[in-house]
Amino acid sequence: MKRDSQIGITGYGAAAYEKKTDRTLFSFLTEAGRNALDSAGLSFSDVDGLAISSFELPPDNTVTAAEQFGMSISWAYLGTAGSAGPVASIINSVHAIESGQATTVLCIAGDNYDVGGHFKLMDNFSRGLRNYGTPQGFGGANGLFAIIQRKHMETYGTRIEDLGRISVGQRKSARENESALLRGPMTIEDYINSRMIADPIRLYDCVLPCAGAEAVVVTSLDRAEPGKGVRVVTGYERHNHPPMEIAPLKGGWELFADKLYADAGYGPEDMDFVQLYDDYPIMVAIQLEDLGFCRKGEVSRYLADNSFDWEGTVPLNTGGGQLSCGQAGIAGGMLSVTEAVRQLRGEGGGRQVAKAERGLVAGYGMVGYGHGLASSTIILEATR
Amino acid sequence: MNAALDYPVPYEDKDNAAFLTAWREEGKLLLQKAAEGGKPFFYPRPICPYTGSRDLVSVTASGKGRIVSYSFVLRPNHPAFNEEVPIILAEIALEEGASLLGRIICDDTGRIASGLAVELLPSAEARRYPLPAFQLRAEAE
Repeated sequence: MKRDSQIGITGYGAAAYEKKTDRTLFSFLTEAGRNALDSAGLSFSDVDGLAISSFELPPDNTVTAAEQFGMSISWAYLGTAGSAGPVASIINSVHAIESGQATTVLCIAGDNYDVGGHFKLMDNFSRGLRNYGTPQGFGGANGLFAIIQRKHMETYGTRIEDLGRISVGQRKSARENESALLRGPMTIEDYINSRMIADPIRLYDCVLPCAGAEAVVVTSLDRAEPGKGVRVVTGYERHNHPPMEIAPLKGGWELFADKLYADAGYGPEDMDFVQLYDDYPIMVAIQLEDLGFCRKGEVSRYLADNSFDWEGTVPLNTGGGQLSCGQAGIAGGMLSVTEAVRQLRGEGGGRQVAKAERGLVAGYGMVGYGHGLASSTIILEATR
Repeated sequence: MNAALDYPVPYEDKDNAAFLTAWREEGKLLLQKAAEGGKPFFYPRPICPYTGSRDLVSVTASGKGRIVSYSFVLRPNHPAFNEEVPIILAEIALEEGASLLGRIICDDTGRIASGLAVELLPSAEARRYPLPAFQLRAEAE
């Protein structure tokens, strides 16, 4: 990505989340795409690049999606990094615009699951999991991330009551977000006492699988309405790191964190908010370490010393994140982007962060034999 | 009742047939290794992930290892496991240097801890499980 690039996000939108639906995947994808284009003041005919991230898209792909949408495009991108894919799709959209492959890219992420559908997904997620996880009753992602969380707790002394501050803080923000599926009050006691799903993973560590979609428009900032453009400052991705480890306590972000901040010219302490990938609080904690918000192994203290709602000391997943909004499959990796754009445009409503000029958005996903294989991060800036 | 019939089973192909057959018929855990260099690895694949070599040999593991970390799965994905919860799922470091995800068969989860020694189930008990399964191994004080 070129330095001082004047490419960014000029529109964002979503399709409302549903716990159960009879709507089709394309219905969600098109609604989110339409809303993002409306937000950008553009129409489908203005778009010449399309990026889609969706577990349920096969047997379709980006090109057949273009057929559904009636679009003629010069650049097509299909997310392959699970829920690190939407952030990666934005990085790659910027590259495509820089190199002249496209001028305006619509990036959409979405799925239509319910709880049962998500279990079936995990049982067939990859050949490695299907063959060597599913026949053991591995418990899907819950069973795997429980192994990671226990290792983090036993290695570094990470405490349940500190991890819970992530779920509790995000829920407070969700109470200001009418789109969140889960908006009831949550205390740290509620978190600790929530039922065990895969010990030590509790119910309030887990996301609610649902149906929905999120989308953004990536183009040159001079096409944005005044003050509504959000600059993509820099971004990196990393996949399958570290190789051949089943339950690592790092996820790849640590390899590019220094480059991110060198590109931006400022560091984690200068972010006005962060949107991290919250499939589980333990992975948010690991991102905080890997992305330099605290030192490796010291996240429990960092969590205890800070608060994470939209008006907390570290505004985190300011719309409530997946833990409160629901996880619409890969849309979970774009929910963070649309919320960041909303904040940077000053459109956060009751959860608007006071001075929202710089934000960091991280993606994570594609669970392999033991852990998520894919990580990604972008830094975004307001142009207001 | 033969519970094994109800478990989801691995898809057998040319990459994993030797491993699956050795477990199913002999209760043995086969690892792969590059003929030169690298170290034993799991799960089965057509190339050594350490060296890139396609010249692979089989290594019969001792079946002994240690628990690195673990979870007690109370909500398994597949209903075949619902009567067996909690499923004890562990990251196990084998003596040979490879790691894998394995079930530990134990009626008392209170006995499970990271660092404990495990071994493969005896072959008579092993047959019902579609993949190598383990039990706690007593160690001399």
